Amino acid sequence: MRGKFYFWPLMGMLWFLKAGAVHGQENAGLLLSAASQDSHQMNMSDKKDGESFQHVHALAMDGAGKAMFLGTHVGLFRSDGDGHSWKKIALSAKQSNFDIMAVTPDPKDPKTIYVATHEAGVFKSTDEGTTWKEINTGLGGPDVHGLAIDPNDDKLHAMVREKGEGVYRSTNGGGKWTRVDDGPGGEVKVLTSVNVPTGMGGIFLYAGTAEGLQRNPDCF
Amino acid sequence: MGGLPTNRTVNGFAVDPANPKIMYVAMRDRLFKSTDAGDSWKQVGSELKNLASVTVNPKNSNEVYVATADGKIFASADGGLKWKAQK
Repeated sequence: MRGKFYFWPLMGMLWFLKAGAVHGQENAGLLLSAASQDSHQMNMSDKKDGESFQHVHALAMDGAGKAMFLGTHVGLFRSDGDGHSWKKIALSAKQSNFDIMAVTPDPKDPKTIYVATHEAGVFKSTDEGTTWKEINTGLGGPDVHGLAIDPNDDKLHAMVREKGEGVYRSTNGGGKWTRVDDGPGGEVKVLTSVNVPTGMGGIFLYAGTAEGLQRNPDCF
Repeated sequence: MGGLPTNRTVNGFAVDPANPKIMYVAMRDRLFKSTDAGDSWKQVGSELKNLASVTVNPKNSNEVYVATADGKIFASADGGLKWKAQK
């Protein structure tokens, strides 16, 4: 099977994935263990507030190609100097240490940025990250491991884990979410819309998972 | 997806918005690049380790960044071939 796609039926949906992924979960465990060890040894000289990132989940540039955002286990950080130094961004007045799983800038509007968290769903900023609001109406659970935006029509897909697990879609900038699919097998690390036409009216969603890279038409 | 290890966790994934057939996969100790929407992959940046995420500058496709799990940033100005640490 090596080097070829095969179909993985998943309660009505078909995510394409490569064979031989059965040990993926073990590797995910090894990864977390190794990263924890590394975090104790890191040099924080490039970070102004002296606080540990602990573990990085996401890196993204805004739609203007200027600011860089880092999603970490202890919050969201912004760099305006290509990652030389970082400034922490609070998503809410009550809590600044959200576990950030995904950072998804709007490719058409540099002022708009979406962030997915482990414990509080999805947040949206329309002022380059200065202020944020929760956009969780219809989302089945708070643990969002992937957040993709369609560059054609700004359609969003969010991968929810644990409670309410599944892929949720929003067609109005996160104003309302609807569950549309079970999603790929394996823990999702990153979810991305790829502007390659499927021939069936949509484009592809790619998912980086504990069981490798998977992809699926998003026209479900 | 020839050339991409099958039994490894994919931590990061990025696509070139100017040419979506160009994409990058970050595994823990390896970065891969595809120019055919994932049909084939080649390892790039063999010195990069402990990778958590990868992203492409939407305004300059040759500019690619990776973050390590502990927050170090490496940058490439040539589509992932050569890398330097951001210090």
